[in-house]
Amino acid sequence: MNHYPQAWGRPRDDVYGPYDNSYFQASAPQTHTQSPAVTGTSVLGVKFKDGVVIAADNLASYGSLARFTDVKRLRTFPPNTVIGFGGDVSDMQYLDRLLQSLDIRENYLSSYGHVLNAKNLHTYLSKVLYKRRSDFNPLWNMLLVAGLDDDDKPFLASADLLGTTFSSPTLATGFGAHLAQPLLRKLMPHDEDSVKDVTKEMAVEAIKACMKVLFYRDARSLDKYSIAVVTKDGVELKEDQKLEDQSWAFADQIRGYGTQVN
Amino acid sequence: MFRNNYDNDSVTFSPQGRIFQVEYAQEAVKQGSVVVGVVSKKHVVLTAVKRNAEELSSYQKKIVGVDDHLGVALAGLASDARVLSNFMKQQSLSSKMTYGRPIPVERIVNMIGDRAQSNTQHYGKRPYGVGLLVAGVDDLGPHLFEFSPSGLTQEMLACAIGARSQMARTYLERHLEEFADSSRDELIKHALLALKESLAQDKELTVDNTSLAIIGVGEKNGRKKLENFKLYDGQDIAPLLEANVESTLADDADGEAMETDL
Amino acid sequence: MTSIGTGYDLSNSVFSPDGRNFQVEYAVKAVENGGTSIGIRTKHGVVLACEKIISSKLLKPGANLRISTVDRHAGVVTSGLLPDGRHLISRARDEASSWRQTYKGPIPVHALASRMGGYVQAYTLYSSVRPFGVTAILGGWDSEAELGVDGQVGFGPSVGAGGKLEDEVVKRGGPGLYMIEPSGLYWGYYGAATGKGRQAAKAELEKLDLASPTCSLSLKDAVMEAARIIYVAHEDSKDKEFELEMTWISTLDGPTKGQHQQVPQELLEEAEKAAKKSLEGDDDEEEEEEEGDAMQE
Repeated sequence: MNHYPQAWGRPRDDVYGPYDNSYFQASAPQTHTQSPAVTGTSVLGVKFKDGVVIAADNLASYGSLARFTDVKRLRTFPPNTVIGFGGDVSDMQYLDRLLQSLDIRENYLSSYGHVLNAKNLHTYLSKVLYKRRSDFNPLWNMLLVAGLDDDDKPFLASADLLGTTFSSPTLATGFGAHLAQPLLRKLMPHDEDSVKDVTKEMAVEAIKACMKVLFYRDARSLDKYSIAVVTKDGVELKEDQKLEDQSWAFADQIRGYGTQVN
Repeated sequence: MFRNNYDNDSVTFSPQGRIFQVEYAQEAVKQGSVVVGVVSKKHVVLTAVKRNAEELSSYQKKIVGVDDHLGVALAGLASDARVLSNFMKQQSLSSKMTYGRPIPVERIVNMIGDRAQSNTQHYGKRPYGVGLLVAGVDDLGPHLFEFSPSGLTQEMLACAIGARSQMARTYLERHLEEFADSSRDELIKHALLALKESLAQDKELTVDNTSLAIIGVGEKNGRKKLENFKLYDGQDIAPLLEANVESTLADDADGEAMETDL
Repeated sequence: MTSIGTGYDLSNSVFSPDGRNFQVEYAVKAVENGGTSIGIRTKHGVVLACEKIISSKLLKPGANLRISTVDRHAGVVTSGLLPDGRHLISRARDEASSWRQTYKGPIPVHALASRMGGYVQAYTLYSSVRPFGVTAILGGWDSEAELGVDGQVGFGPSVGAGGKLEDEVVKRGGPGLYMIEPSGLYWGYYGAATGKGRQAAKAELEKLDLASPTCSLSLKDAVMEAARIIYVAHEDSKDKEFELEMTWISTLDGPTKGQHQQVPQELLEEAEKAAKKSLEGDDDEEEEEEEGDAMQE
């Protein structure tokens, strides 16, 4: 307790929190970001009977410049969760550091039984994103959380810069939501009930096909990508995969744009 | 009993390296009526002897439910216990909100331990004058922790604190090997019998002066399911007492409503 | 023992006429009554061990861990008033987390020791608080890999001006072992011991000759030695039961990959068996030697 006169009548720090000294500074700059700078494009995710497959390409674009080509947008969280980020890369790094400090804190519990699974992480991230949007200072990302839930069943959910969340057997962010989802949904004629009929090979094939389509049609994509398969045995992460069997043979028949034939 | 220069505040060490204010606070715990806790592989039971100030007054509540998976039993200054259990309720709720999972028991116990320790190291505060038995269930199973005014928290297989609790502890030590595999009913029986050991000569366990709480893990459809915190008080505890505690009036037809005197 | 109760010992931060802060010295007494803890530093890693006196049969065995992790690469064991130890470790964790937020990397062990020492010392400056009744042994491993930046997304160009030089011979990383006392004083050690059995433990540690550049103790040997030394130190509290707890941190290509972890159960049991055997061996020798000689302890 501080009994000196300068503290008489001062509310207790441990009850009301310390003074917010930013109010004493007349000209603090506003730091609310409203547009992304360096961005990643789509992330794709598909459930299968034993887990989830998730993939994202290795490109960070600076507007229309393909700026960084070895960017890993799939981040793992032990023991078996993978989070794929689309959107602003610096916000992705911020969230990655936040998750890392969460992981360090979880390890402080003495026994190795407590686990933050994918579902818990998704809840946490969606609340962080919603809070930031409510402050008009969003984290400009659309992310997919892939892993297992409390009952060790496959878990796949998305969260975005507005704090909106979705869960579905197949999900995609960015361009993937338009181009890849219809292809991925062909695997799931009966929604959740189809998950048990999908094998790992089917899921990986579908994802690879969609990554090829996205490279053909998404102008901000790359043919190098990372893919992760999450099961209860852990995460199998393959970075630096190259797209195979690309078909560009039609290119030499192109003459100009549209209907131009010479 | 002690009366010396070094016992005025908790920021003074004695020449032998003891902090007398903390030791005096532990005396306050010994003045409270006895509470007993036992844990098995699947359940944890708290039970307590309640006191009333006078014949016509109500009995002091000794067991507080903090969350579906957490409860505490107190011995000592009940108002201090209220402060701590309110804090625990807030933290537990906050954890559920943020991560969608109940707070691990070890984490919440460490939080109150740190709060209590802070009161023993800073001037102007006094140590908490209450001992708690914290019972909870999380991913690792059921737990029982003892919390003392010094801020020391320890996980126990069984514990008893309060007036004449040594008798209960002797019973618990004698039967220690049996607790882990006890069934739900056996565990309740052990708790009540241990409690009975600590009663004064002419006292009995009655529906008015006894309360019991139990939390456990169960199974439903092959999934782990929490058996929520349940408090048995008043008439609810009558069947438990009948089943487990031999009354001196065992042949009494209406052995339920026993008169109590203090 | 000298000049107790002469009025300069009632408040913290007060100097006695001979320049002592008695409250800090009394805090040291609290440490001396606590269970023994030790740390051993080798070229291959650091081992921390402690003697947990079992104060009640009702305690859950294997729970109540005394050696705590700070960040991922450091561990702290305290002797003395355990709640004070938890407070100090909580602060160490905050310091490590704050370092990570500023510098985007793990806190070097020497910096963490400095922060902990500074914090403990601050509690000797004011009469409104009391000193910490613990001595903390901090063991950690600074990574020898080239640390990136937390959350980095790529590795930069592999050729040209921004590329990496393969032949850089920069000796990075290594072990760190520090002991922080209630006064805030701390030193770096090759072998550290505190608590009730510290004299016996220090004698054993000195025999290991850890400071010599020719010391070739492997990490596994250090684990075995640590267990043995705790058993030797426990002779001072022979009448009470105890539980041995050990943790270790190795190099990046060692068993723990630079992380602070509990020593695995099989290794712990092996070390305890060897320790008990060597103690029995010692007892036999002593019985043979003494013929009316006074026992050493």
